[in-house]
Amino acid sequence: MKQAGLTSKAVLILAAAFAVTMVSGSAGVSIFAQEGGSGLPAGFKKGELAPLPSAEMIEAGKRVYFTKCVWCHGVDGAGDGPAADRLWPRPRNFNQGTFKIRHTASGELPLFDAKKPVNGQNDLFETVTHGLPGSAMPSWEGILTDEQRQQVLSFVTSQLVKDRKFDDKATETQTVLNWDELMKTQVKYSPESIEKGKQLFLDKKCIECHGAEGRGDGNAFNLKDDWGFSIQPADQRKCWNFRGSRQDPYNVKNIFRTFSTGVNGTPMPSFADNTTVEERWHIANFVQSLCERDAKGNPLEIDPLTDKPKVKFVILSGTVEGEIPDDPENELWQKRERRIVLLAGQITHKPRNFVNRIDDVWVKSLYSQKEKQIAFLFQWDDRTKSVAKEAGTKIPWQPTEVNVETHGVKEQAPKTGEEGSIAANQNKFPVYNDAFAFQFPVKWQELPPPEKPRYLWGDEKYPVDIVKWEADGSLRAFAGTGWDKDFEDRDDYTERLKLAKAEWKDGRWSLIIKRPLKADYDEDVKFEVGKYIPTVFFAWDGHNGDAGRKMAVSAFYYLVLQPPIPKETYIYPTLIAVGIVILEGWILTRRANRKKGKV
Amino acid sequence: MKAIMSAAAVVGVIASLLLLGMIFGVVKADTVHLVEGYMPMQMIFELAIFVAGFTGLSYMLNSMGMAIPRFWQGIGFVAFILFYLKSRVYPPIPFSVRAMYGTVTMVAVFMWMSSNEEDWKKFRQPILNVMDAATPKLKLIRTLFLIAIPVALWGFSYQSFVPQGAGADVDEPIELRTVHPAPPASTKVHGKTFVLQTSQNPYRVNPEGKYDQEYSNKLIVEQAMGRLMQANANPWDEKAEGYLKNVREGGEIFFQNCHFCHGDNLNGRGLHAFAFNPIPANFTDPGTIAQLQETFIFWRVSKGGLGLPREGFPWASVMPPWEQHLTTDEIWKVVLFEYWHTGYYPRTWD
Repeated sequence: MKQAGLTSKAVLILAAAFAVTMVSGSAGVSIFAQEGGSGLPAGFKKGELAPLPSAEMIEAGKRVYFTKCVWCHGVDGAGDGPAADRLWPRPRNFNQGTFKIRHTASGELPLFDAKKPVNGQNDLFETVTHGLPGSAMPSWEGILTDEQRQQVLSFVTSQLVKDRKFDDKATETQTVLNWDELMKTQVKYSPESIEKGKQLFLDKKCIECHGAEGRGDGNAFNLKDDWGFSIQPADQRKCWNFRGSRQDPYNVKNIFRTFSTGVNGTPMPSFADNTTVEERWHIANFVQSLCERDAKGNPLEIDPLTDKPKVKFVILSGTVEGEIPDDPENELWQKRERRIVLLAGQITHKPRNFVNRIDDVWVKSLYSQKEKQIAFLFQWDDRTKSVAKEAGTKIPWQPTEVNVETHGVKEQAPKTGEEGSIAANQNKFPVYNDAFAFQFPVKWQELPPPEKPRYLWGDEKYPVDIVKWEADGSLRAFAGTGWDKDFEDRDDYTERLKLAKAEWKDGRWSLIIKRPLKADYDEDVKFEVGKYIPTVFFAWDGHNGDAGRKMAVSAFYYLVLQPPIPKETYIYPTLIAVGIVILEGWILTRRANRKKGKV
Repeated sequence: MKAIMSAAAVVGVIASLLLLGMIFGVVKADTVHLVEGYMPMQMIFELAIFVAGFTGLSYMLNSMGMAIPRFWQGIGFVAFILFYLKSRVYPPIPFSVRAMYGTVTMVAVFMWMSSNEEDWKKFRQPILNVMDAATPKLKLIRTLFLIAIPVALWGFSYQSFVPQGAGADVDEPIELRTVHPAPPASTKVHGKTFVLQTSQNPYRVNPEGKYDQEYSNKLIVEQAMGRLMQANANPWDEKAEGYLKNVREGGEIFFQNCHFCHGDNLNGRGLHAFAFNPIPANFTDPGTIAQLQETFIFWRVSKGGLGLPREGFPWASVMPPWEQHLTTDEIWKVVLFEYWHTGYYPRTWD
């Protein structure tokens, strides 16, 4: 009898535990959240579900939604608005209540309180305010008022989130990051912490997706989100593209949060259950240390208008006495200042490239009067090394051909439905060569300023000199006379080009191209010291189906070969300063004399 | 008088504290928001507030017997203007332009200081005192000046003697572009000639199907913060017909083609905009489509960057000639949408 009682109790407890697991499971809360001492993952506290917004808020929000949001997120909030098929990542489908940037535990709904537009306590409000950097979601700060942002969120959370209820206590819980406590335990950003983080980055298998150096080049290349759309792991070298990091990209808190909560709807899990709080701080510090910095190790200056690094549209080439080294690790290259060049999709002529996977390139340049050469070091992040198989046979077009649409390189049609969208078909394109090119006007000396040949391969009036490298190892010189004109081969110049380095390592291409400062023929560019020489850069990602005009392109930049400073530069100012001293003496003496005279 | 001046003084103190607070991050940097497209007006307005505030402050200090010497008022004002131009305005004003404003300010202050004999004496007295160096303190100041002036001039002349491009940093050359070049009399799109003076947007129609700008003007978004649609004019309403339906179709085309540069809010901050120079046009700025006729926009959209005259820098524009991608009808609908979404009326030819 006693035994039987115990058994029935045990069964009851088991059943109860099973029920709890079922309920929490259906709410999408990690089962682990129920275990452990306090029943919560480390660093979290219990939160309350916020009350539902008022009917007026929802009605007002509908107006905001159908003016601003419907175009991407669609009439029913299914992420299928008119823009969706040409975007990657695809706009979020609200119906399931899956949101990326949260302070809540993995699987839970984000914090949203229509009455509290407070940072740290209202995830959705922050997402709309700041947008999601690196995606098509812009910042609505300064465009919609705080109230309008709350209104539209009231509409989205109550009408467009269909599978879950923001106030249903039976199915929903809120487990919130406990910043007050966490900040007390924050581990300072230090070399020791970064070292520990580096080890954890390996142990916790971060490198499987994010790659050994964090460029998102791990072997989990073909990832899918919850809806089956292609998605790529973050490139941790570009923290300004981290979702939820706008205007504060170098703050480790962003990484700590994402690492603790995971990114709902994507393969990025929460690590709250299998890391301690201290470990998370180490990892956050390490990941932060990966982000690009300037030569002194300080964060890059971020332009508040674009939320990208500030751009100087000038590339400075430094002079070297002897030969230009072929190794980017050489001291001469290492000491040389690098400049960022931002790239966008080529969206002027067909086939337009709506999704460019290469969005910046770092450029250094050196020139040598003795060697009569100028060299460029280009480094850019590319998650995949792409080489068209069996070079020369797999690509059906000639290297000079520009109009490769005839060979099947197509731009994304506007209305294809989910199945045909970029986000569904990314990584299914035929693989072409990764490539890089840059152009100079041939006769830049004769251009009446500010006139230039057109950015896209010049025009008939002013032809351009194009040097193009492809991942199959070719480096060729062309003459360009217009966006739709096939290139003209320039074999004589191609022979004088030198590919000093072309290496893909840990998600980054490093390319050193050398070319003559002065060439023999009229159609070759002659580089002159101290002059502004306009240039444009182009990059192709073979796995993005980039070929021909489908590529990434920069604005106009200026190359300036920095002249050595002559002696006169020091002599004349010194003479002037001496003259000023004499003048001072003369004025003071004169004044003293005049005063004496008066007395 | 005193009441007005003390009010002005309070304004001056608050404005100065707010400015310093915003610049040094004590309060949020955009506490006083720089309204897009109205920046010059706002700058002048803000500076006027500061001038009034400083006048009040100076008056109050004077009446309290703590007057600031005229000399320091002048120096302080020039320093303030330079500081304001450098720190307040974003995107930053190039140095050469700031130098121009600085010189103008200096001339103005000089005229103010020398407006009457007494003021002028007050102004130059401290300079003469330093030159005469009657006390040890003044002597020290004089010595410092005697050293500082040649050193500073050495620096300036070094800057001007350094060969172009050899300096630590080299700015891109300033190139001034005409944003709205003169339009042609007519433009030929898909084989049809449109005379800019007489063409009309075929989709700006009233329920009777007639071109009606007054009708459509009543249905555009509200010119208030957020620029939201009117409550009873939702282009996404299933029952929307005529003009509003055309707006929705234009919006679909816009968001499949144009938003990549011109942005979800038509403010020129699209997905690709960060890489471009010049940046894409901001249609919410009252200086762009609000100043132009609908046919002008039709011409610009159809012909794109390639169709610009020389002063519009056709070589640097990535604006596609949209006739390569869209039909004439689609272009008209996009133009219609742009006016609807920004809440501006197209300008008419009269």
